[in-house]
Amino acid sequence: MKQALSQARYGIAAVVAVVALFVIGALAAPNLTFRVYYAVSFIVLAAIGLAIIFGIMGVINLAHGEFILVGAYATTLSVTKLGVPLPAGMLVGALVTALFGLVVERVIISGYVPNWIGQQTVGRDLIKPFYDRLADSMVATFGLSLIMVQGARIVFGNSINQIGVPFGSTAGYPDYRIALVGITAGVLAVVYLLFTRTDFGTRVRATMQDEQTAMALGINTERTYMLTFAIGSGLAGFTGALFAPLLSMQPTLGSQFLVEAFVAVVVGGASVVVGTSLSGLMLGPIDALFSDEFGEFAGRIALLVAAMLALRFLPGGITGVVDRLRDRMEGGS
Amino acid sequence: MVAASTPSAITRLRNRLEGPNTIGNSRRFWTALALVVVALIAFPVVGGTGSQFSLFLVLGLLGLSLSLVWGYAGVLSFGQVVFFGIGAYTFGVVSINVPTPAGITGAVFAGVLAGAVVAALLGYFMFYGGVRDVYVTIITLVSTLVMLTFMAQTAGSEWTIGSAALGGFNGMPAIPLLTLGIEGVFTFQFVFNDLELFVPVLGVVNIDPFYYLSLAVLLAVYLGLRVLVNMDFGRVLVAIREDEDRTRMFGYDVERAKLVAFTIGGGLAGLSGVLYAARNVYIDPSVFQLYFATLPVVWVSVGGRKSLLGAVSATVAVEYVRLSLGGELALVVVGALLLVSILVLPGGIIPWIDDKLSDGRLDVSDVESPETPPEATEP
Amino acid sequence: MSRDSISRRGFVTAGGAALVAGLAGCSGSSSEGASTDSASSSETVKIGVLEDQSGNFALVGDPKYKASMLAIEEINADGGIDGKEIEPVTADPQSDNQRYQELTREYINDEAVDALWAGYSSATREAIRPIINRNEQLYFYTTQYEGGVCDWTTFACGPTARQQLGSVLPYLREEFGPKIYTIAADYNFGQLSADWVKVLANENDAEVIGEEFIPLSESSFGSTISRIQEADPDFVMSMLVGANHTAFYEQKASSGLDVPIGTSTAMAQGYEHRRIDPPAMANIYAGVNYMEEVPTAGNTSDGGFVDRYYEKYPDAPYLNEEAETNYFTTYMYKEAVEQAGTLEQPDVIEALESGISLGTERAPEAPEGGSIELDGATHHVDHHMWVMKADEEHTVEAVTNEKIPEQFLSETVGCDLTQETEQTQYTPVDYFEEAE
Repeated sequence: MKQALSQARYGIAAVVAVVALFVIGALAAPNLTFRVYYAVSFIVLAAIGLAIIFGIMGVINLAHGEFILVGAYATTLSVTKLGVPLPAGMLVGALVTALFGLVVERVIISGYVPNWIGQQTVGRDLIKPFYDRLADSMVATFGLSLIMVQGARIVFGNSINQIGVPFGSTAGYPDYRIALVGITAGVLAVVYLLFTRTDFGTRVRATMQDEQTAMALGINTERTYMLTFAIGSGLAGFTGALFAPLLSMQPTLGSQFLVEAFVAVVVGGASVVVGTSLSGLMLGPIDALFSDEFGEFAGRIALLVAAMLALRFLPGGITGVVDRLRDRMEGGS
Repeated sequence: MVAASTPSAITRLRNRLEGPNTIGNSRRFWTALALVVVALIAFPVVGGTGSQFSLFLVLGLLGLSLSLVWGYAGVLSFGQVVFFGIGAYTFGVVSINVPTPAGITGAVFAGVLAGAVVAALLGYFMFYGGVRDVYVTIITLVSTLVMLTFMAQTAGSEWTIGSAALGGFNGMPAIPLLTLGIEGVFTFQFVFNDLELFVPVLGVVNIDPFYYLSLAVLLAVYLGLRVLVNMDFGRVLVAIREDEDRTRMFGYDVERAKLVAFTIGGGLAGLSGVLYAARNVYIDPSVFQLYFATLPVVWVSVGGRKSLLGAVSATVAVEYVRLSLGGELALVVVGALLLVSILVLPGGIIPWIDDKLSDGRLDVSDVESPETPPEATEP
Repeated sequence: MSRDSISRRGFVTAGGAALVAGLAGCSGSSSEGASTDSASSSETVKIGVLEDQSGNFALVGDPKYKASMLAIEEINADGGIDGKEIEPVTADPQSDNQRYQELTREYINDEAVDALWAGYSSATREAIRPIINRNEQLYFYTTQYEGGVCDWTTFACGPTARQQLGSVLPYLREEFGPKIYTIAADYNFGQLSADWVKVLANENDAEVIGEEFIPLSESSFGSTISRIQEADPDFVMSMLVGANHTAFYEQKASSGLDVPIGTSTAMAQGYEHRRIDPPAMANIYAGVNYMEEVPTAGNTSDGGFVDRYYEKYPDAPYLNEEAETNYFTTYMYKEAVEQAGTLEQPDVIEALESGISLGTERAPEAPEGGSIELDGATHHVDHHMWVMKADEEHTVEAVTNEKIPEQFLSETVGCDLTQETEQTQYTPVDYFEEAE
């Protein structure tokens, strides 16, 4: 636990250092700096829900994009059909997705519902939980994503009407996107506090490090997993809610987050909040600067190549580097 | 004395084909396989030309390549479609530039080679760099996206190799028809060349020669891989899959074994791509899309990834269902089938059937092993 | 900008010419085919309709399917084609080219369709064209596209990039000035459309001051928008495509970028002006042959095309550009079969090549207005083109219209399918210096 906290401390130091650099950049070249901020926010928001579910439960959720879809649709529909104000609509989007995630966890990931039915009828469990079964969870959630995309198409049609972007623009840069950057920082702070400063966070980290011991110490690990999945889903839904005014509302909209999300999670490494922030801070500027200098194609390729190189030369992801750095510094002191 | 102790040719062959790493080591299995092959040979005579079924057989090769790499060497790769696509594009480029039967035959080998070489380079980059587990998966996934983004924008005439335009998003046009052989000796056109065959009772039926080509290639590759995984090399692969560090402790060159398996897998995926492009007379970057990249993982998981037979059967079955279901609910049904099959039979369908048939006899390949857990993590 | 014009120029002369030669040579080497086993003696006319109802292109493909069904229903209610009822054969290809190929094989070999309508994207058309060509299948491709397909069994009846851009670019040049900034999707359609912008800019005494290609997967346009702001063009030509690129319009509006935008892709296909909150699409000018708002008698009057469509499909979201092409080509096919007096495909193709027209003399009037002719030599349609403008409220109005014939294949290339059985796609770089 001490190790975890000290690791987080160094990670946060790194984040603060990079943010400080950005502030200097904002004074020097405001427009470009806003674009870099936004690229970072996009990657972090795309990845955060996936990172929590993957990092804590060992479940690769290929339906992550469709969880974002649920959040975006719930937000848009509650604003356009029910007349809810946009901020409230966004909360609705996050809550609906969290509830949806809860159902998915109970029915598929943990197998609680099918196993309960199995116990009642044939007297045994029917399925095994998907925790830490990376490939199997991938196939299951791929199936789920096919069902969700086509289901959304059948229920809501090929598109739904989109809500407009709130606010105007400052110095040629949209205010809403600047707001998104701030919200991203807020989301990261809340998630960080949740996992480090609350009882729930302690239980989660205990479960993550050693499930057996945690159970022996009286932690209800199944409940922990359930809540973790719901929180991860809720964050994915919140991402969908935030981007709802910016994206074309079609059943396939989730796919545009998937690549950034996976790359950021894996490049980030083991630690959820710090790793995701750092990989966002590394990949976002690469994307924005290459797009700016050489066009969008170069930006896209640079992002992907940088991710491959990072995975190759930073085993254990960026968090691994932070770990080693810490070991060296504490070993020296 | 000597004659008596030498096993018969059949027994020797069976010894090479059988072992704990494959399902189906009984006489009953070989009889069943022979029956299936006979049924497949007869199939076009009664069930149309077989031209659609040849697609499933070609994709079966792609499934086999992933089964070797993932099911035996334990390397979960999303990149099989990269080697598949590169094989297909190489075949297209070479055959357009040399559109003679000998040139097209050479293009087939060039495609396989290209798949293998790219796999070897990527494999060297990863395995000798100490990249493992989910990191390998994501690097291969990212490499498919690099290919997709790159190939989609190659529409301009600057992306022309010899007389072959890569064609960008619209795909590579005008790939010559697959005609194998050497001019003056023997040549045969395999696609768009239905043969009329007189069958008693049924009359004249049309059969597609490409179907038989793909069936023969698939069968040969399946049997070849059985020999491979039952060799010592195959045992090393399985040892790596089960515990990489322990295998290294025993003195095996883990990186080299994984690289060899990955390269063979790349060559097989390339072969599958060559046949795919030849069959459709077309190849486009959609083979690098995430959706298509996920399909091999789905086939192999559903069929049972530790079983070559499972990979082939599930590829054919899943693709058949995917292409023949129509209507609004088709994708929902496909998704539900995947979900339910992986929920209920996580080891795959074929190992489950094998288990039922052999009545609980414990087979090494069936032993459940948990995935390597991710390293201890901190939020 | 993101394209190196010097290296491109070097390749054009050698590579481009070789490409066309290679294409023609290969498709000419076909020895087998002639399976026009049409059911001319049968009681029904079998029409295959393959349009996307799910997947990436469902939004634009679904209206195409519906309009085909409307035309078939109307023709059947009116006595069919030469007294024979039309029997539509349909399936959902799910925007998947592999499915398209399998369904095309099935429809040609097993269903023996008399004519085939299939596909939204150019990639789909190219994926199935080898199968169409081998079987000499009569095929209608009904999407607005980059142009240049010269293929003797394919009828590409949507407007070409030259027709669409040729209507809107000269108008914007007159209204706003000569400096153009081009943004286009980074694939065949976008790159060729951008080439056409350069050709048309040259013809209209304008200048392309910036050109940018965006990958189809991109949905963030911050860098692009700021480059447009820096370049300060008189108007932007946008050939962005697909759901991800739709985000551009919302993002440029919220960035305060209010330069006029000409487009051949937005609004008429994916009805962005209905789906997105105003004023994101304000000040956008679309060069189109048709959209639901086109003010012709046959279209918006009582009992017109729009009324008939929504009567059959009350819940349909929009009636788009491609849908109209599906609709009138079905009528053109009817005319041709009745003229040929047979369903034999070579005879029907010959009848189509004789110059079928719809409009003032022959019913029904094409919804896009006036009379439109199928050009026998090129298998393309001389369209009635409109420039449609969206205002702050996203109300769409026609600002100008004129008849624009297909020009590239007929005048520049000299493709004549009544004389030769070509199967090629020509591109502007081979013919125009400024497109390089």
